[in-house]
Amino acid sequence: MDLDLNVRKEGDHSVLEVAGEIDVYTAPKLREQLIELVSDGSYHIVVDLEKVDFLDSTGLGVLVGGLKRVRSHDGSLQLVCTQEKILKIFRITGLTKVFPIHSSVADAVSAPAE
Amino acid sequence: MDADAAGRPAAVRLAFPPEPRLLGTVRLVVGVVARKAGLGEEGVEDLKVAVSETCAVAVGDLNRAGRPDPIEVDLVEGADRFGIEVRDRAPAVPARPGGPGDGDVDDRELGLALVGALVDDLRTATLEGGGNRTTFWLRRGPTGADLSPPLI
Repeated sequence: MDLDLNVRKEGDHSVLEVAGEIDVYTAPKLREQLIELVSDGSYHIVVDLEKVDFLDSTGLGVLVGGLKRVRSHDGSLQLVCTQEKILKIFRITGLTKVFPIHSSVADAVSAPAE
Repeated sequence: MDADAAGRPAAVRLAFPPEPRLLGTVRLVVGVVARKAGLGEEGVEDLKVAVSETCAVAVGDLNRAGRPDPIEVDLVEGADRFGIEVRDRAPAVPARPGGPGDGDVDDRELGLALVGALVDDLRTATLEGGGNRTTFWLRRGPTGADLSPPLI
């Protein structure tokens, strides 16, 4: 079970594309990547979850941690997701009220800062 | 969960050491067995999340206690529902006074809340001699469509 991470710049945003399964085994890799991005001065991050097959509470915790980190620098963390099985996890936990969730990276990077 | 109410034995029984890397394998097996049992795709995904969260808590508790005891998972096909029982020998976990230390949310509580929202008839019990038993079911309709609780 692998988690593949790919980072690219789109304007002022760093886009982190995630592919694979995010669980208690793989989430530390995602956490480290988010910490590294913030440490390198990327405060506006888009996490693309379109290629994520599975997401558990550990992954949610890592994303919330990332959000807290960028907000401490007046930054933003937005998500891209259209998969119902993943969106359901965000809805059940009430995190759709916490994260801006977009249907495409283009929508996310062009969204006004909150 | 040796048998359901109709007396059927566990269709599949898994036992695995408390290693996080094995959770993906458990999900894979649960997915295959639940699909073959006729559960709808949404129900299959719900079960995979629920069993993974339950097992992840057990893995974490056993690792913190330094215990290598295997975690056991029973998959049971009932007449109109599909059931899972997870058993572990983890000692009771004291409350974490400071919460998680790196600024993230308490994903243990989040995970248990997720399980409760995704499945029916969630029951937890302490095993004699230490450990936990968590049981839950997912109803299935006549065509295999799941009857998951509504989303908030």
